[in-house]
Amino acid sequence: MSLIHRYRGNRFRMLLAVAFLAAGAAYAQDYSSLGISDVIGNADRMLQRGDYKGAIPALSEVIRRAKDMTDPQMIETVQTCRYQLARSYYQTGDIPAGMRVLEVYLEKEPRKMEKNALRMMAQGFFEVQEWEKIEELANRLLSLPDLEPEDLFNANLLLGQSYYQQQKWAESVKPLSYAANNTKEERIKSLCEIMIVRSLVESENWPELFVWIPRIYRTDSKYDISLNLTLMKAGKARYDEAGRTDDKIDYLNALMLYRMVLPREELLNFANNRIRSLTSKLESDMKIGIKQSVADERKADIEKIKESMKTLDDLPPYEEEVTFRIGQIYKDVKRYWEGYVLFDKLYRQDRLSDIGEAAMLQSVLILYEVNEIDRAEERILVYLEEQPQGQYARTLLSMMQRDNLIKQNFDKVVDLLKYIDTLPATTDQDELSLQADLHYMGAFGYFQKKEFKLAGDQFSIILEKYPNSTHFSDSRYFRGMTFMLQGDYANALTDFVTYQDKFGSGEHYAASMFREAVSLFGLERVVESEKTFTKFIDTFPEDPLVSEAHSMRGDIEAAKDGQDNPETPEDEYDPHTLDRALADYRMAIDKATTALQASYPAFQAAKVFKLEFKWQEIIDLMNYYMDRWEEMADVAEAVYWIGQSQIELDQVGEAVIAYVDAIERFGNDPEQQGVDKIIYELLNVANHHLEEEARDDLLSTLERKLTNVDERMEVLKLRLQVAQALLLGDEASSTLGAELNAAGTDLAITTPVALALMCDAAVDSANVEEMRRLYDYFLATYEESDLLWHAYRAKTHELLIAGDLQGVLAIIDEAQGLFGAESYMGWAQLIKADTLFKRKEYELAEEAYNMVLGVAEWRGPIFAEAMYGMGQCRLAQADLKAAHSFFQRTYLLFKSYANGDWAAKGYLSAATTLVELGRNEDAVKTLNAMLEDQYTSSNPLAQEGRELLKKYGGL
Amino acid sequence: MYKMICMLLMSGMLAGFQSAQAAPLKAKLVMPGDKSWDGMVIARDGDWLEFSTGQSARSIRIGVSTIKELIFDVKIDKEKLNEMNRNREYERVISALDRTLETYADYFDIPSNLVEYNVLLMELYFKVGNYEKSLEISSKIAGDDRDPALQEKSRVFQALALIESGRAAEAESLLSEYGWDENLGDDAPPEKLFITAKLMVLKKQYNAAMELVAKIIAFNSQDPDWMRPAELFCAEVYTELGMYDSAEEVIRQIAMLYKNTNEDDQAKKLQLKVEKLRAEQKLKESLNPEEA
Repeated sequence: MSLIHRYRGNRFRMLLAVAFLAAGAAYAQDYSSLGISDVIGNADRMLQRGDYKGAIPALSEVIRRAKDMTDPQMIETVQTCRYQLARSYYQTGDIPAGMRVLEVYLEKEPRKMEKNALRMMAQGFFEVQEWEKIEELANRLLSLPDLEPEDLFNANLLLGQSYYQQQKWAESVKPLSYAANNTKEERIKSLCEIMIVRSLVESENWPELFVWIPRIYRTDSKYDISLNLTLMKAGKARYDEAGRTDDKIDYLNALMLYRMVLPREELLNFANNRIRSLTSKLESDMKIGIKQSVADERKADIEKIKESMKTLDDLPPYEEEVTFRIGQIYKDVKRYWEGYVLFDKLYRQDRLSDIGEAAMLQSVLILYEVNEIDRAEERILVYLEEQPQGQYARTLLSMMQRDNLIKQNFDKVVDLLKYIDTLPATTDQDELSLQADLHYMGAFGYFQKKEFKLAGDQFSIILEKYPNSTHFSDSRYFRGMTFMLQGDYANALTDFVTYQDKFGSGEHYAASMFREAVSLFGLERVVESEKTFTKFIDTFPEDPLVSEAHSMRGDIEAAKDGQDNPETPEDEYDPHTLDRALADYRMAIDKATTALQASYPAFQAAKVFKLEFKWQEIIDLMNYYMDRWEEMADVAEAVYWIGQSQIELDQVGEAVIAYVDAIERFGNDPEQQGVDKIIYELLNVANHHLEEEARDDLLSTLERKLTNVDERMEVLKLRLQVAQALLLGDEASSTLGAELNAAGTDLAITTPVALALMCDAAVDSANVEEMRRLYDYFLATYEESDLLWHAYRAKTHELLIAGDLQGVLAIIDEAQGLFGAESYMGWAQLIKADTLFKRKEYELAEEAYNMVLGVAEWRGPIFAEAMYGMGQCRLAQADLKAAHSFFQRTYLLFKSYANGDWAAKGYLSAATTLVELGRNEDAVKTLNAMLEDQYTSSNPLAQEGRELLKKYGGL
Repeated sequence: MYKMICMLLMSGMLAGFQSAQAAPLKAKLVMPGDKSWDGMVIARDGDWLEFSTGQSARSIRIGVSTIKELIFDVKIDKEKLNEMNRNREYERVISALDRTLETYADYFDIPSNLVEYNVLLMELYFKVGNYEKSLEISSKIAGDDRDPALQEKSRVFQALALIESGRAAEAESLLSEYGWDENLGDDAPPEKLFITAKLMVLKKQYNAAMELVAKIIAFNSQDPDWMRPAELFCAEVYTELGMYDSAEEVIRQIAMLYKNTNEDDQAKKLQLKVEKLRAEQKLKESLNPEEA
């Protein structure tokens, strides 16, 4: 960098002229023969002519002769000559000689030209780059009184440069700032600003730097290549430092520095334009005529720009790296979107390059951070499709899978497994570990979807291929779970036992032991199961599963029902199994960590007490359970048990009050399904234990509750309506069901009791839409309800109406799988038989009808219908005798059912069958018997009997 | 016919009565071909301007539409105005400008150097939240194509004023008219990104807005004019998104980079808002720990 300051040569010349005016003229070149005045006059003339070389001997001669004089005027003259001699040396290029003279001048007095002398000295030192000397001179200049603004400017400029060159960065800022603020020359201003920025960067004076930077970026100084390189270098240093120290401030400073760096192309374009304009200006000025020194200086400036361009050219590409780092910093300081757009740019520029790939990863991480999940996933999938071999394939796949697993998008989780096959084989442990993660998450995806077989397959892959995976031991346990949940207790047992053998300190050790016992129970190895439960309870008395272990052991004990105790010889009666079961149930309640864990043993224990008729114990246990779990308890169920016990204790009134109270207290919560149970129990109590008056009181109570119920408590209101209808009888119940359907009742306020009525009403009215709607809602909402069979019945009728016989059989199978041959399930078996008949599968149909007759609870019209159906089956197969026999049994055995309908049908079918057998006489007898039978004589079908009788000659 | 003549006379009288009769205003009159005269604007008479050069006793009447430019000698202390502006004494600047420009109100529609003062007013009205006024001025300047840079600037403020007034549909239509709703890539001009982002915030599309603001910051970091408002806006959108850490980070950087600026003032207010929102969030979390 060249020294920059302004000369004031003209002013000096004037001073010299004044000093020498009195000296007269002298012409001789041999000054030894001339008087001093002549010598001075000679020197003056030559100086005025600009003949500095010629002036040197004359000035030297004056100094030589007069240097020791003491006359003040002469002393001053000598000093003036010294100054002019020095200046002449400078003008002739002998700067060292000039500096020697100036040195003497500056030591002597007077120094009228001291400011200029100091600046000339400084320039001399500048030529030899003696910055310390320049610093000293500039400070001396600044210490002088009455400095003109221009002197101040020059002194500060010199001082700033000297500090800068000595790398006294902090010190340089102030004088350079003064110079930059007090010049109108853009070139000087720009150079000062660039030096200031560098000094601020080097002295790490960030606050001041950030004040200067916006100012600089309003000017063309921002295109200075060295400035940009400085910022980039400093940015990198800060960034690296931040990486080491994790200091946020370093990151921020790096960010501010980096984001000021302009792209290489922009810098080079500007530099090229600058060179062109400077060169053009120089050429035109040279044609006009400028000093060589000025021309040289301008050429040097051009060369410097070229040099900096070369430096820039030689740099490896930096834009992408800088962009990436800026993005990284933005991300690190949580300015995610700024980071994203930078990474996104790199990604879009060349997503297949290394930096593009890294940018893709970063952009995806940010998209997850800002919850732009669809975009993140889209980008991941593009990457997986395009670059399954890519270095981030497993990482990204894992990320996407994990996110979906957390969000419970299990379909997506398992769908992503297909990409595993596209990944290249690897031996890298980290990659293998990631791959095991993928299988593990996929397994959980399947697990949550209840696709246990597929979940187990994924766990098996981990067990077979990834022995070093962190999921290896867990996979063993969870695979056992998948087996267990598929009912494959043998394999489940193997996994749980293996887990315990191999991972004695594993996270699932206790659970494995518990599941081992469950598996043994599943395998009906009850003795071993009980022993294992006992071992588990003894080993892990505080484990969260211990409550369930007590419950299950209690179940085993209760199932023995006083027999088959493993601890006693075979066939020896053990009267204490129920006691032990009860003890376990109590422990289960005590040890329960959730309400659900406590509810099971509580109600199981109630069942055991019921077997022993211990009604007060049931009441005490239920109260104990409710006290322990308070509002989290299944209060309605508990109240149901209390009520039942009170009835048994002949405290019917108390039971009714408890039931009504429970309905009112918990009835507005649709999840309290025990309330529905209470409603049915209330119906049972009313029908079997209450006198007419008490029933009326109960109905009045319900009516009063209904009148007073808060309209907002819609669930409770509906439950009360249902209870009332049920108490009033079948007709009221059917009417309510129909009304609820007709009103398009919002299913959200319905519970199983109402849904059951609505299902039945839908069947009665053959409303297919309603049947479908109710079935779907009922099944989805109350899958565990005892009343769900009403929904199955509705669905069956819907399929019947649609003529989907196969569907009918399937849904009946499902319903029977859930409810078996409960008293209310006769319809299912009957429809099944009817459907088989319609499908002309007569043998199966007859078998199905016959099964109806095997269930005593179904005795009633269904029996008659089944018997008649069997006859129809035989008739269809032309087995007339057998058919007649079934019809005969129908009217003989089930006369009274359905107002004699089935008996009438039996008579008529028996008669026509006899006719077909050619036994017309017997047919007439049968018809006569029908018309005489008190159950059928007044039946509407009797008319048909009379007509047949007439036809066959009986009348 | 008689009636017609009467009406014409009447209208002429009224027009004459309404002509500007304020004190003469010193100005340079520039005509097409850049021929110019120093003199005084005497008065405005509808489509005519009365101008006196001082060399002739009589003033001349010039058709307003033929004037290339009027350069008024506006008596205003620019240095002081700038200082007040730097000190964010916007209301004072507005008041001073309004007072001064009031004299020239009759000539606003003639091309003149008054436009630069109107541009300043437009910006200041916007800064103090008087969007109606800002819109009024910017809409006028937006139609003047003599200085494309000023025209562009006024269009920016026109759109911003509409957006800040909640007039989304009009803003959207304006953006579409200027073609600013297209090509919002990395190289898009910052003002285009800024306005569109503002509009998106108005439509509560915060993530989309944030992406555009981020482009201003990431790709225009050497633009001192747009970086400041963009950074402030960025902090605001992060706040709307509930990303308080991010918002505070931006606020910190504004304090560091743009000390003693309008944006710094606004950022400080935003910081208080973020703190309040954080406190509310914590309270909510403590009341509903499951939702936290």
